[in-house]
Amino acid sequence: MDKEFTYIGKRVPRVDSLSRVTGEAVFAADLKLPRMLVGKVKRSHVAHARIVRVDTSKAERLRGVKAVVTGRDTAGVKWGVFRYTQDMEFLPRDKVRYFGEEIAAVAAVDEDTALEALELIEVELEELPAVFTPLDAMASEGPWIHDEYPNNVNVHVEINVGDVEKGFEESYLVREDTFTAAEDDYFMGEPFAVVARFDDGGNLEMWTPNAGPHMKAKPLSNALRMPLNKVRVRKIAIGGAFGGRSEISPADYICALLARKSARPVKLIYTREENTVNVRMGHALITTIKTGVDREGRVLARDITCYMDGGAYSSTGPIATSVPFLCMEQAYRMENVRYNGYRIFTNKPVRGMIRMHGRSFACGVDLQLDRLGEELGIDPVTMRLRNARKAGETTPTGSVVSSCGLTECIEKAAEKIEWRKKYGNLPPWRGIGIGINSVQTGFPLGIRGGSQAFIKFNEDGGVTLNSGVVDNGQGNDQMLVQVVAEELGLPLEDVNLITADTELTANDPGSYSMVSTFAGGNAARLAAIDAREKLFRIAAEALEANPADLVLKDRKIFVAGSPDRFLPLTKVVRMGLIQGRPVSGEGHFAPKVDHRREWVSNPHGQLSEAFSFGATVAEVEVDPDTGQVRVLEVAAAQDCGFAINPMVVEGQFEGSVAMGGQGGMLTEYHFWDGGRCMNPTQLEYKVPLAADMPRIHPIIVESNDPGGPYGAKEAGMSIAMSAAQAYASAIADAIGVTITDFPMTPDKILEAIEKRRQEERK
Amino acid sequence: MRLPAFEYLEPRDRQEALDYLARYSENASILAGGSDLLVRMKQRLVRTSYVISLKHLKDLDGIRPDEDGRLCLGSNTPLVSIIRSPLLQGAYRGLTDAIRRIGAPPIQHYRGTIGGNLCLETRCLYYNQSAFWRSGRPRCQKDGGEICYAEENSDRCRSANVSDGACALMALDAEIVLESREGERSLPIEEFFTGKGESPFARSPDELVTTIRLPAPETAFGSSFRKLTYRSAIDFALVSASAGVKVEAGRIARARIAVGGAGAAPLLLREASEKLLGKSPEDGDAVAETAAQAGRHAAAFMVDNLGATLEYRQKMAAVLVRKAVQEALARAENGNARGRRER
Ligand SMILES: Cc1cc2nc3c(=O)[nH]c(=O)nc-3n(C[C@H](O)[C@H](O)[C@H](O)COP(=O)(O)OP(=O)(O)OC[C@H]3O[C@@H](n4cnc5c(N)ncnc54)[C@H](O)[C@@H]3O)c2cc1C
Ligand code: SF4
Repeated sequence: MDKEFTYIGKRVPRVDSLSRVTGEAVFAADLKLPRMLVGKVKRSHVAHARIVRVDTSKAERLRGVKAVVTGRDTAGVKWGVFRYTQDMEFLPRDKVRYFGEEIAAVAAVDEDTALEALELIEVELEELPAVFTPLDAMASEGPWIHDEYPNNVNVHVEINVGDVEKGFEESYLVREDTFTAAEDDYFMGEPFAVVARFDDGGNLEMWTPNAGPHMKAKPLSNALRMPLNKVRVRKIAIGGAFGGRSEISPADYICALLARKSARPVKLIYTREENTVNVRMGHALITTIKTGVDREGRVLARDITCYMDGGAYSSTGPIATSVPFLCMEQAYRMENVRYNGYRIFTNKPVRGMIRMHGRSFACGVDLQLDRLGEELGIDPVTMRLRNARKAGETTPTGSVVSSCGLTECIEKAAEKIEWRKKYGNLPPWRGIGIGINSVQTGFPLGIRGGSQAFIKFNEDGGVTLNSGVVDNGQGNDQMLVQVVAEELGLPLEDVNLITADTELTANDPGSYSMVSTFAGGNAARLAAIDAREKLFRIAAEALEANPADLVLKDRKIFVAGSPDRFLPLTKVVRMGLIQGRPVSGEGHFAPKVDHRREWVSNPHGQLSEAFSFGATVAEVEVDPDTGQVRVLEVAAAQDCGFAINPMVVEGQFEGSVAMGGQGGMLTEYHFWDGGRCMNPTQLEYKVPLAADMPRIHPIIVESNDPGGPYGAKEAGMSIAMSAAQAYASAIADAIGVTITDFPMTPDKILEAIEKRRQEERK
Repeated sequence: MRLPAFEYLEPRDRQEALDYLARYSENASILAGGSDLLVRMKQRLVRTSYVISLKHLKDLDGIRPDEDGRLCLGSNTPLVSIIRSPLLQGAYRGLTDAIRRIGAPPIQHYRGTIGGNLCLETRCLYYNQSAFWRSGRPRCQKDGGEICYAEENSDRCRSANVSDGACALMALDAEIVLESREGERSLPIEEFFTGKGESPFARSPDELVTTIRLPAPETAFGSSFRKLTYRSAIDFALVSASAGVKVEAGRIARARIAVGGAGAAPLLLREASEKLLGKSPEDGDAVAETAAQAGRHAAAFMVDNLGATLEYRQKMAAVLVRKAVQEALARAENGNARGRRER
């Protein structure tokens, strides 16, 4: 970048860090409103059943109970992210489809009363045969989980580009492998909690963790049959999302319903178990990958079939079924490729988007590439470099890649861990591996794809930015403050925010689809530039200068090159007020995508305006006695376009290595007893701790995307995925066996080592 | 999650506590640090009308040698005091190593006690779940029902003792002192455990564990503790092992090997331990044989109810025993001072 920035690109602490560290940040569970009731949900204790009878009369009679709701209290509206996936009633009337599904809810004066009331609700269920794996679900003779979906096939995404068969014929080497992975989960720091209240004007106010308040307000207005302007999702501190809060939660609706029926504010706090089972989790996958390469290891054809365990409802199904493939086709160059992705309903909790988008997919592709390279005598890094995406190219499904620093990421990460020196030369049980990936910066989200921002000045020269951008932990608020302070020459503390409130702020896609900086940051930047132009017009008259010659810095408007010809910013703002032309700013930005693109019916055209790319290299040591893995060092390199705040970006990289690599490949998975999740708590689901983490070298690569604000794209996601891939590849290198079921827990690693030893003995 | 209703009692002294225990018996629970009890109450795994706190019983907190040189650990001694006590170095390092692996520093520093750890209820993934999770199907045996989800057709509960401290105390040949209004009795640690998953302790409902007594420290004695988990902290053992060995005139004179995460008691593996007797501490084959036998015995007690695969936990029992015995022998031989520097 040729321009000298004051805040952009600088390591400045986040505006919200102090309140988070001191515990002063207010989350939904912390809210206390006068006359507030406690909400609790009655859940299904079977995995699949017809609802015969729900009798709430005893609960209603219990002293202290102010409202009880069931499917009878609803308008029967079905929720779905798409018109063609509307299959979920927030309080089902006919059937329950997984263990833990909502059946009824109560609001009472205190928690004990609410819990007692739950016990008094009589539920009669007629159990139906349940299916718990995609293969069983497809083979099942019914009853289907949803009548409209025969054989429980929920989504089929089919992509076929080029001539795959011909590509295989022309290949020097072809391999086919199948990889499987269990469900992974988010375990956000903050368990879900929601507060709802209706004011005396009949407006609904709601505080709930979200990845986009507007994404919650609209479905609420539909389900509650209220005009959108009466649904007010408010800003609140949020402790993580990771894809799990992209959609409306049944609890949002239930809480609103309870508040409406009781005419009092209601708070509903999830237990950790509910946060696991009733929010979302990652899909379990079975992925078969066939890849053909030429003698130099270049991919000539690839054919992938994937079965995803979708759980009981569609959720973001069409997107979730597509994204693993799309990430792969962005990262790897290839002309002939076929994909058949099937999302299958099972009687398990609903699966949604998650940071790694299916471990068995991404890791399978990379592990297979390693094996192909091995047969060809080409090392993994060279295999990646030969196939890596480059700027200016078009993906198989038709997205032009405007900026791409993937090659630089691969080279820098490999160099940091001394790949050339180490690969093939490490002592026994040590291994090194690499993974690469790419994610989108924004999806075609139709009318909700763009972000709008407004700026107003206070008479003392401070500003308030109004934007729909939400911060759910990644630092989006900080990003907005830095952008506005930069463009208006203000200190950071002079920028105030009104964000993530559906009454006060305009349309915004939310942090969903990694687009906050790209869309929201650009909109804020344009709003600030708009305001600055207005300021310059006023100042130019007073300074008798050309507006084009003015600069704004340190709360002063200067004539460029003459440091003593200036006006204080405050003065210009006040002049605007006196002259009847008060200064404000407006900006709007929508990423350029092909709006005809559709996940299932038309998966072709520009998917995102920009794509981020990442490469991770990991070095590990395996204990051959126990199968336990010690990760020695990780280099995580990502092309994030431009790092608006390198400190925040590096934090994202580190969190990504923890979630994708350390947790995602070593310890994190759900296991089941039928429909019951055996490890719904933090004790039993092994999210890594700080003490488990290896040394991480974050490497920021900047390709300066032409469309991004200051060149910025997305930060963190492609590290989460490539870290999982790097860990898998390094473990395979250390033990000389490729494990195909993820995560690679010590029991599997030891089994693989023993199998290899047996074979060697033969 | 919400605690159920109960009456909370804070006896001022031991006598008052014993009176309450005598009066309320099965309807009462003893609260030390509460880090196990309160979780189980929230999950409705214990139904109790009275909770008797030990917080004012100051004489239960402390580590003192008695007239015979034996070390007496008051049951309400916080875990952190065990870790830091100068009296518990040397021969007793197996215990301090174990206590350091309990939960995480906040549990060791602010809540957990050695008595609570000794009395940690046995665990099973089909049982240590919320009331809702367990609803909708018959209760298992530990939960007051008839069946077992961990092992089909099992006529008894196969939940496992995963107390790190108990495993180490077993290898150290501790003695457990219990007191009731009727008087005091002391049990060798192996008799303190019943081996029954449904009711793992030989404590009668009116009794309080007051003291854990350790044999007087000896020279050329070494102890150790090993624990297998997927995570560095906040993780119960998938399997654990502890060893206490005495070396005399270049031969192993005494050995006690214990395995946790297998049966309803920390398993004392007598036969395997005996294999070491008379052997040289350098005899790698003897150690390997002992470990293999210990592993086989422990494996027979295990069922698939703690996470990871059963086969893996079974295999690891032998590996951990081998590592524990090797470390205990090294400590016995080298003198524990040097062993301390090793770590
Ligand atoms: C997140 C988490 C992780 C944990 N990890 C581990 C671990 O890795 N290893 C491990 O061993 N434990 C672990 N624990 C369990 C527990 O924290 C420890 O065992 C601790 O030492 C228990 O001590 P306490 O004083 O808190 O026990 P309490 O909960 O007060 O008591 C435990 C049991 O002992 C009984 N009891 C207590 N004192 C007496 C007495 N004097 N006489 C008779 N009965 C008594 C109680 O009635 C209760 O049944 C963990 C707990 C949590 C919550
Ligand atoms: S082992 Fe069987 S009886 Fe015992 S707690 Fe587990 S499921 Fe219940």
